[in-house]
Amino acid sequence: MSRDDPDAPAVPSRWRILADPQDRHCVIFHITCLAAYSCAFWLYQHPELAGITGPWSRIAFVAASASMLGCISGIDVGVNFHNHSHRPIFVSQFVNRWFGRIWTFSGGWPSFFWEYCHVTIHHAKLLTTDDWTLPKQNADGSFEDFRRYMFTHWPWRLMTRLWRDMTARRSLHSKSLRELAIFLAFWSIPFWMDPVMAVWLWVLPHWIANALVMGSGMYVQHAGCVPKSLARPVSHSTVFVSKFFNLTMFNIGFHLEHHDHPRVHWSELPELHKRLKQDMIDGGAHVVPYGLYHATFLLAGDDARKKRFAEQALGYTRSR
Amino acid sequence: MRRLSHTFLSQTGLVFGRSFCPLFAIAVIAGATLWGPWVSLAITVVAVTAALRWL
Repeated sequence: MSRDDPDAPAVPSRWRILADPQDRHCVIFHITCLAAYSCAFWLYQHPELAGITGPWSRIAFVAASASMLGCISGIDVGVNFHNHSHRPIFVSQFVNRWFGRIWTFSGGWPSFFWEYCHVTIHHAKLLTTDDWTLPKQNADGSFEDFRRYMFTHWPWRLMTRLWRDMTARRSLHSKSLRELAIFLAFWSIPFWMDPVMAVWLWVLPHWIANALVMGSGMYVQHAGCVPKSLARPVSHSTVFVSKFFNLTMFNIGFHLEHHDHPRVHWSELPELHKRLKQDMIDGGAHVVPYGLYHATFLLAGDDARKKRFAEQALGYTRSR
Repeated sequence: MRRLSHTFLSQTGLVFGRSFCPLFAIAVIAGATLWGPWVSLAITVVAVTAALRWL
C-alpha cells in the first residue's frame, strides 16, 4: 500500500527509531497520557493550587480527573498499545519490549498479558467459544447483557482465565511471573507517593479504562456479529466510519478491516477501507456512521435504541 | 515556502487531532487551577455526554 508521501525513501535510514513515521503519534499520545496523570497527582499533592482544600471540592476534582484519566487510559491501552501489539512501533525489539511495559502499566495491565489476551485469544479465536475476551454468548448466539459484561469482565473473569492459561502452559510460567513483577514495580509507584491518592487517581481511572471504556469497546465492536465463514465473511465485526472518531482513535473504527488484515498499519486502514468498500457492501457488512461511544449509548439502552444500532450507514446498503 | 508552511500546519494539526483526548484531559485537569474543580467536573460531564450522543 502506498504511503502519504510517495517520494519517501524506500530504504530505511540506519538511524531510524520508529518502524513507521506515523507511529510518532502513538508515542506522543502515550507521553501526553502520562503527563495528564502527573498533572493530576501534582495538583492532588498541592491542593491549594486548584482550590481543592475542602472535602467536596476534592471530590469534584477527583471525579473530573479520574473520569478523564480513565477515558484516555482506555484509549491509550485499548487502541494505541493495541496497534503496537500487532505491529511494534520501534525498530529495536528491546525498545519495543520496554516501551510496551511502560505503556500498559498506566492502564492497569502488564503488556505481555494484554498482548496475550488480544492477539493469542481474541484475534486467533474471534467469536468462537474459546474467545473468552468477548462477552459470553446466550443460547441464540447473542451477547450477554451489556452491564453484566462490563462489571464482571475486568478484572475478575480476566484474572481467572489468565491464571488458568498461564499455569496450564509451562512455557509461559517464568515469562508471566517476570512480566507481572515488572508491572507491579511500575504500577505501585503512586502508592508509594500517597496510597489514598493512588486509589482515587490511579486505581479508579484504571477501572474506568478497563470496565467502561475498553469493555464497552469490545462489546460494541462484535455485538450482533457471527464467526467468519464462507457464507458470511464480513459479518464478524462492525465498522464505525465517523471521521472525527477515527482521527482521534487511531482508525480503530475500521474494525472489520483490522481483523481481516491485522498486520496493516493503523494509518493505512482508511485507504484499505476504500479498497474493500464494495466487497463489504456486497457481503452485507454492518457499517454505522458514528463511533464506539454512541454505539455504547445505543446498546446500553432499551430495545428502540438497540434497533437503531442495527441500522446501516448511508452509502453502505446493498442495492440488490 | 508556502508548501513548507502548509506541511508544517497540517502535521501540527494532525498531532493535535490524534492526541486530542489526552490534551483535552490535561486542559480539564490543569484548568482546575484557573476555574476551580467544579467547572472541570461540569466540562467532564458535558464531554462524556457529548461523546455518548455523537461520537
